[in-house]
Amino acid sequence: MRMSLRTMIAALGASLVALSAGAEPNPEREAYFGETHVHTSWSLDAFALGNIHTNPGDAYKYFKGEPIKHPLGYDVKIDTPLDWAGVTDHSEYVGVVNMANEPGSPVSKLPEAQPLILKARTKEEMERVALYAINTLAAGPPVKALMSPEIAGSVWKRNVALADEANEPGKFTSFCSYEWTSMPSNMNLHRNIFFKDCAKVPPMPFSALDSFHPGELWDWMDGQRKAGNDLLAISHNANLSDGRMFPTEVDTKGRPIDAAYAASRVRNEPLIEIKQLKGTSETHPLLSPTDEFANFEIMSILLGNPPGRIPHIVGSYARQALKDGVALEDTKGFNPYKFGFGAAADSHNTAVPYRQDNFFGGHTFSDGTIEARMAGTIVGGMFDARTEGTAGLTGVWAEENTRASLFEAMQRKETFAVSGPHIKVRLFGGWEYATSTLADKDWIKTGYAKGVPMGGDLPAPTATAKAPTFIVWAVKDPTSGNLDRIQIVKGWTKSGQSFEKVYDVVWAGDRRADKWTGVVPPIASTVDVEKATYTNTIGAVELKTVWTDPQFDPSLHAFYYARVLEIPTPRWTTIQAAKLGIAPPDVVSPTIQERAWSSPIWYAPSAEARKAAPRGTTVADLTKAGATALSDAQLKALIVQKSVWLQNTVTGEKYMIVYGALGKGGAAKGVTPAQPGYVTQRFPADQGQFEVRYIGRNVAMQSLTGDAVEGSYLGVSRTYTIANGRIVTDLVGTPVEIAVYKAGDKYVAARSNEFGYANYEIVPAVAQLNALEAARP
Amino acid sequence: MTGTIGRWMREPLLQFLLAGFALFVVYDVRNGDTGPRERSDRVELTPDDLRQIAFAWVAQGRPAPSSEELRILADARVREEILYREALALGLDVDDTIVRRRLAQKMEFLFEDVARLREPTAEELKAWFEGNAERFAVPGRVTFRHLYFSPDRRGNRAREDAERALGRIGNEGIDAPAAIALGDRFMFQDYFPDRAQDDVAKTFGAGFARTVFQTPTGRWAGPVQSGYGWHLVWVDSVTPARVPGFEEIEADVRAAWTEEQRAVIRARAFEAMRSRYQVVLPDDLDTGDLVSLAATETAGAAGAR
Repeated sequence: MRMSLRTMIAALGASLVALSAGAEPNPEREAYFGETHVHTSWSLDAFALGNIHTNPGDAYKYFKGEPIKHPLGYDVKIDTPLDWAGVTDHSEYVGVVNMANEPGSPVSKLPEAQPLILKARTKEEMERVALYAINTLAAGPPVKALMSPEIAGSVWKRNVALADEANEPGKFTSFCSYEWTSMPSNMNLHRNIFFKDCAKVPPMPFSALDSFHPGELWDWMDGQRKAGNDLLAISHNANLSDGRMFPTEVDTKGRPIDAAYAASRVRNEPLIEIKQLKGTSETHPLLSPTDEFANFEIMSILLGNPPGRIPHIVGSYARQALKDGVALEDTKGFNPYKFGFGAAADSHNTAVPYRQDNFFGGHTFSDGTIEARMAGTIVGGMFDARTEGTAGLTGVWAEENTRASLFEAMQRKETFAVSGPHIKVRLFGGWEYATSTLADKDWIKTGYAKGVPMGGDLPAPTATAKAPTFIVWAVKDPTSGNLDRIQIVKGWTKSGQSFEKVYDVVWAGDRRADKWTGVVPPIASTVDVEKATYTNTIGAVELKTVWTDPQFDPSLHAFYYARVLEIPTPRWTTIQAAKLGIAPPDVVSPTIQERAWSSPIWYAPSAEARKAAPRGTTVADLTKAGATALSDAQLKALIVQKSVWLQNTVTGEKYMIVYGALGKGGAAKGVTPAQPGYVTQRFPADQGQFEVRYIGRNVAMQSLTGDAVEGSYLGVSRTYTIANGRIVTDLVGTPVEIAVYKAGDKYVAARSNEFGYANYEIVPAVAQLNALEAARP
Repeated sequence: MTGTIGRWMREPLLQFLLAGFALFVVYDVRNGDTGPRERSDRVELTPDDLRQIAFAWVAQGRPAPSSEELRILADARVREEILYREALALGLDVDDTIVRRRLAQKMEFLFEDVARLREPTAEELKAWFEGNAERFAVPGRVTFRHLYFSPDRRGNRAREDAERALGRIGNEGIDAPAAIALGDRFMFQDYFPDRAQDDVAKTFGAGFARTVFQTPTGRWAGPVQSGYGWHLVWVDSVTPARVPGFEEIEADVRAAWTEEQRAVIRARAFEAMRSRYQVVLPDDLDTGDLVSLAATETAGAAGAR
């Protein structure tokens, strides 16, 4: 009896489901995987590259699982169909106004379009049309007929129509979207623009030909939002921005980064694209030298590969921006870099390769055959095809698969990025999660009820809470590798300095975390590089834990995000090398650990809690107290050809910097006493070497110090000069300058990237670095 | 020279500008208001031109430009006009791959416009539907419960344990607690009502989805492997795929018909044009000589094709 009742209920349920064309909204939210960045033949660059036949409609077919044609004519099919997508053809050259006024075009024949058409080029006529546009298109309700596919007289309108055609609420969501392609001086500042719904999109998108300044794009977006047309921007390829995606000092117009800039940016850009075919923008080994997994699919180039230009690393990566963001918040009261993560393709083929074992490139001819790829074709004159990665995807935690639900999730940053496979990751932060929370079947309800999901701000701590607690959970893609580990990446700030630390929080197998560092050893590899195979005999299907920050300081701003790693699997280059019977390329790793990144959760101390933080010394404090800045001559006398012991007063860490002699315009310098013919140095005038010593491997270093450990123990030096009252060093071309002040009998130094703080003191030489009383647990 | 142009051509900003030129050319020729342009040293923007610039600005949903904004827009237009004329004077439009392709692309768009003008008659549409019915088939659906045997918990015994559980499960029903107690906690649902094969594949992997659709209903079966481990499956019901009636899905049929027309008309329009040309190709399309070209290609020209 019970059985048949159950079957009846199931049947009833099934018919209801069929009627509503999708499942009921799930308050616990589902992970929906989607594409936010793909080009079809309607993007001029894709068309010019030879993607001639496929349009956004074909892209949606591909994402839904139908095979389509690669521009070279062969069939390509997605491995796991997507839940949603937005095609983002370039908006530039979508000449709606011209085309609307083109005699004989479908638009010109529509009665509703008549008011838009200039009958003559007279003043009165222009005025009439402009007024109509202001009153009807900008201010009034949208004219339905002008929004309908029939009048798609422009590429943009056709794009909108195809997005509407592909949209199946509950099953597959397609967005109206386009790419704003700004690249002043080859610096990639591109953004993909997503509209909440297609009914109110403007007749013409705001393109980089209108302005390449992000600020003006945001102003336009603000205007759209005010007119009831909600939209958001997703920046991409910070790694190709030459350091300009995440400025901390001035914007593209030379205006200071201030509270207004931050508000405008945060209002309009909730997400960034962290990984795509052209590399990862999470972080870089020189910015995160203690993160052993930072070296993931790095690509450091500039679009168009302008000769003689070396791209800047600083300002081009997300983790540093998040750190600068909390430092700005703490020191100046605003944070422009409060963003969540997504990932995407940027394929110019309409179709997109997401998997290592189904990689067909993203740039038509230049990487469309195994031979072109494995021959290391320089794609677009810019990069070796073998260094291209697979496309990533954006996971969105939403109640249902509809435009509104997905868009709102993107706005609240409840999103995560994956490098290709559909890995699912959840992260909740709060103060009251019990360590046993995950044993309860309803743990997701608890996650939402007693804290915030990824993308959120930790609520105020409860009276008894000592540190925030995080529920973190991940499940593998059933068609990909098992999971190796979940890590929590933490960033925080103190006195204008910012820091990061990566914690291994849960992992597969019986590996033991190092007793002192907590670091979990690498997982074994099952990859047979010669045959390009692997097995899922290691790793985990599901990883989950409740983690409490062991080094929490309630007085400091911080952020936390989760990173999930798969076990090593063969990279596409290894698979295709095996197919050709050639050696796997030596320009990339033969194996890869696919991964997922959750959006961060932020902690901000209350005004009360903030008071407990040490006040720190600022340059302004010093000047007020009568300290004087050293001149070039005084700096030279103080440091040149000296070994100086310094203390970072924020961390307490002491270390030595050896400043070598300054060069004499390329004149050779020998040792003293002289050994004929032995040249030790040939630097330009006033430039010399410096070397940092005695930095430990596990010290959390302040930002932009490069790989200080490498300097300390491999004897690697960098160059410095003294100019304009500063000791000038650099990190891959970005200047990092140090001013020194004489305050009483002390010398106090300030680094240029620490927001006005003077955090270093010259101290007497240290005799022992690791006092045993302190080293014992 | 060719090298320099090649490099310029890869410059996306230049590509955009060239695209702009292409539009300009088409626009001017179509409007026929200027005729063949004479090279002139005079660049004049009339008040009417300014109004048109302002109109383009306003059409993007912004308030009318301030006089400062209008001045900047006018400067930009003057710059564009001067660069455009200089480019024409240098003959940069002639034999330019980007310009050629942009114009070809606009022709393709024109074909599509033509395709959209035609509407099928009711009979025509219905006949077409009958000839293409299989394209509109609604996929079959399955309702099932599963018991999960987790390799995280059981290591390589997961499959064996699932087999043993099947032996012990006897006649327990689909949601009998005794049956459910045999499996491990699963990360997602235990009961999946009314799922298409694609949906099942998204959650469990394609192999599992195929197997579930072939599993007999009304009893425990398995073990079935998924991307997560091993499962025992109870299939409640399977609804086979079916083709809906024409009336149910007329809108979809119309969309598909239009889509096909697009391709047909594109092909037909091109054939018609091509028939007016005498196309001469070498008799022998031997690729032997081209091998040496490939080397040059790899050296850096690939992006410009």
